[in-house]
Amino acid sequence: MKLFSGRRAFVLQRLSALVLLAYFAAGALRLAFGPPVTYLQWQAWSAQPLAAAALLVLAAALLGHAWVGIRDVVLDYVHPPGLRLAVLGVAAAGLTFLASWTVLVLVSHVNSA
Amino acid sequence: MRAVPFAFYALERSLRSEAAFGATIELMRSPAGRAVLVLLAWASAHHLFAGIRHLLMDVGVGASLGAARASAYATLGTAAAVAAATVLLA
Repeated sequence: MKLFSGRRAFVLQRLSALVLLAYFAAGALRLAFGPPVTYLQWQAWSAQPLAAAALLVLAAALLGHAWVGIRDVVLDYVHPPGLRLAVLGVAAAGLTFLASWTVLVLVSHVNSA
Repeated sequence: MRAVPFAFYALERSLRSEAAFGATIELMRSPAGRAVLVLLAWASAHHLFAGIRHLLMDVGVGASLGAARASAYATLGTAAAVAAATVLLA
């Protein structure tokens, strides 16, 4: 089945890994060497459209990477087709919920600023 | 993996209001919060270093048995070192 094609998952996993690596490196440097962030700074920074877009890219990479990880574990260890479909369905629904919720949170935040 | 929904929840809380932001920081700084953060830092560092190792192997770096074994131990060690550092910093 095309949905379970290994190459697409492989590419998505590697690309999202590189995106996450860049964000985590930047975040770790900021955490280690920058002053603590206040609410007002965080609020103002994340309300800029470009910053909110960058946070959305981070969320998309994290959720896409999580999807490939869950998918790989399920395909390796859950063999009955019905159960496999159910577990993947629950995972996909959960990740889709988190993605939509993040879009709503960030869009309303940018609009409220 | 199970921490991912909490990261998204923390994002929502941190933007909701100054009080919710403060409460989230407070929770993370409580003893239980610090313990969770240290474990998360350990798991994340291990995953990150192991992932970099896999990416390097994808392009043929360190794919021989000896090098792969050495980098596996290096991953275990550096992740534990990051965890130890966060214990001191957290």
